[in-house]
Amino acid sequence: MRRFMFRSAIVLSLLLTGLSSAINLRADEPSSKGTIGVSLLTLTNPFFKEIGDNISRVAAKQGYSVVVVSGDFDVAKQQNQIKDFIVKKVSAIVLSPCDSKSIGPAIQEANDAGIPVFTCDIKSLAPGAKVVAHFATDNYQGGKMAGQAMIEALGDAGGRIAILDAKQIESCLLRVKGFKEVIESHNAAKKGGAIEIVAELPSDGQKERGYKSAEDCLQAHGDLSGIFAINDPSALGAVAAVEKAGKADQIKIIGFDGQSDGRKAIKEGKIYADPIQFPDQIGTKTMQTILSYFEGDRVPAEILIPTALYRKADGLKDASLK
Amino acid sequence: MNKMRSRFVADYGMLFVLLLLCGYFSWATDAEQSPVGAAGGRQVASLVVEEKGPDAKVLIVVRDTAADAAFADAAAAKLGGTVVGIVKGQPPDLREALEKLVDRGVRIDAIAATQSIAAWTLVQKIDEKFPKLAGVAVVTPHPFRWPNFLTSDNLINVANRIAVIAIIAIGMTMVIITGGIDLSVGSLIALSSVCVTLLIERFGGAENASPVALVLCSLGGIAVCGLVGLISGTMVTSFGIPSFIVTLAVMLIASGAAYKLTGGESVGRLPDSFMWLGRGTNLGVPNAVILMVALYTVAHVVMSRTLLGRYIYAVGGNAEAARLSGVPVRRILLVVYTICGALAGLGGIITASLFKSGDPKYGPLAELYVIAAVVVGGTSLSGGEGKVLGTLIGALIIAVIENGMNLTNVESYTQKIVLGAVILGAVLLDTLKKKSWWQRRMPASETILGPP
Repeated sequence: MRRFMFRSAIVLSLLLTGLSSAINLRADEPSSKGTIGVSLLTLTNPFFKEIGDNISRVAAKQGYSVVVVSGDFDVAKQQNQIKDFIVKKVSAIVLSPCDSKSIGPAIQEANDAGIPVFTCDIKSLAPGAKVVAHFATDNYQGGKMAGQAMIEALGDAGGRIAILDAKQIESCLLRVKGFKEVIESHNAAKKGGAIEIVAELPSDGQKERGYKSAEDCLQAHGDLSGIFAINDPSALGAVAAVEKAGKADQIKIIGFDGQSDGRKAIKEGKIYADPIQFPDQIGTKTMQTILSYFEGDRVPAEILIPTALYRKADGLKDASLK
Repeated sequence: MNKMRSRFVADYGMLFVLLLLCGYFSWATDAEQSPVGAAGGRQVASLVVEEKGPDAKVLIVVRDTAADAAFADAAAAKLGGTVVGIVKGQPPDLREALEKLVDRGVRIDAIAATQSIAAWTLVQKIDEKFPKLAGVAVVTPHPFRWPNFLTSDNLINVANRIAVIAIIAIGMTMVIITGGIDLSVGSLIALSSVCVTLLIERFGGAENASPVALVLCSLGGIAVCGLVGLISGTMVTSFGIPSFIVTLAVMLIASGAAYKLTGGESVGRLPDSFMWLGRGTNLGVPNAVILMVALYTVAHVVMSRTLLGRYIYAVGGNAEAARLSGVPVRRILLVVYTICGALAGLGGIITASLFKSGDPKYGPLAELYVIAAVVVGGTSLSGGEGKVLGTLIGALIIAVIENGMNLTNVESYTQKIVLGAVILGAVLLDTLKKKSWWQRRMPASETILGPP
């Protein structure tokens, strides 16, 4: 009996210390002006982690507390998180919806409770769900930038190029659209060498698929001189295929995103350049907009953050790659 | 009497853990609450009169919600002619309204508002933004303290969030009591949601489907999953393949089939009436929760009062002994796996109804949550032992922890660690209690025989 009491005392205290050390004892600090509830698509991708961190940073400066949770790609889980935010009476909710359509009812519930909802990176496409503002990378402008990088990379020679796309993703469609427009107007102006897009193959935004598609493309077009891949993983897949074929000198690759793997490849000269996204700016802009909304400012329904071109020279200076 | 009590403790000891957690989160989420609705409106009206006199000009500001509308109406009715305006909306709306009022030279002595409005920066800095309104009093109802966790809305929230997991956990409890396991339930949620949606789209009349068609299509979805369960059961009984491997394979097959049926997309041409199960409420209680309670009642009776229930325990206790004493072991196992599959199908229909769409991505890791609920509820993975109502408690423990951590600002990484630690701790507590305490008090034979 005594042994049982002893053991269960240990277990109980384990349980309670675990809980209370994890939880900053009382939830609402009286000094806080309010809480912002943030539920992102995932927190395993550094892109979203950085958005969350920057929302917290800006909010803390202004005396708001922030709770950042991960939807883990599960819209049911995300809906429950939103319900909890409503019970908590948060001042505003920020979402990267796990599903653009199914998230509708949860946003409607927040609407009914009078809590303003903002979205980051992924838009809500649900009818009847009111979102105050959406924050994302300007993918169309980024695509144009990728087109300019391709023109720069190929120089006067021009050549035949391929695109590794992901047609099921809206943001990637915009990237390809911007890219093609720049290439077309370059060809029309006849200033440098003409660039011909000879293939558009699916990469699904994944390394493996990008590798296979690039390999097939190299078989079909031996004289290929450039590849535009819609994100870093597919660009890295293309790098692997090009290296395997021994054509690294002949083919220039343009990626997109600027994740650390991608930037490393640029530094090593394997990828020519990336239009890079700025998740930190997305997070900062989101929170700043929420703050001005609380002050009564009308805010635009969509705020797009432009990309910037990242070349080898930027890679050599990049302190985060050491 | 003493014997009964210790049996209760052994079977439902987890109830104390649940209550402990509820108590803890009630303490941790204690927060300032402000009266809302009509009562808050009446209170704020009398406070304005108290503070600023009966002739003060009052602007009422609320958000655009049902509760806030009642607040505004009650305050306006009580204040009568001194109300210069009612603003309903968000900060930009208030700013616009104030600009207009100031332009027109309207005198405002007090702003009657809810607590959440008083927190807006616009209202707090009103002197700065509108110098002409300097000295205006912002009056809100008197706050009181009450835990966010312990509100009826939140408790319903807790029950509702776990309904799907808890319903499937009934079937899983039976499977685990027979000594097996079913890993396919998460994929079956997705498969069922996709099947029922496609059935309604193709044969039920899509957006114009009648209630009868909806019920028939839903039964179709449940039947598909029941059939999948039956196939798993057959593999286990006829070929003696371990249930872990069978259902692992079925998990992959069902998930792949769901993706193939829809091409990876979500499908959702459904009538609004389809949302009755997932989003509808009855006297404030969600229909899914009512269904969950009803199913647990039935399952409890089946497991404790019927021959089927006794047979399920007997199979799990010792299959060979059960067979020799005339229990139709194979048939019982088939029934159990079919029930488990069908309940997973029902879970999928509730999910599809909640989101008004079917999606092959529904239910990720659901099988692990279901198994955790069963095990936390005191059912032994080695079979022969366990209680259906214990499983309900186990499911509620998981729901309370998840909900409580969201209410107390715990970030996602820590949430996973705490949830894992609490599951481990709860099971550890249960094991210790059964081994060292309850066995000492009870004759050893009783533990082997299991439930009455």
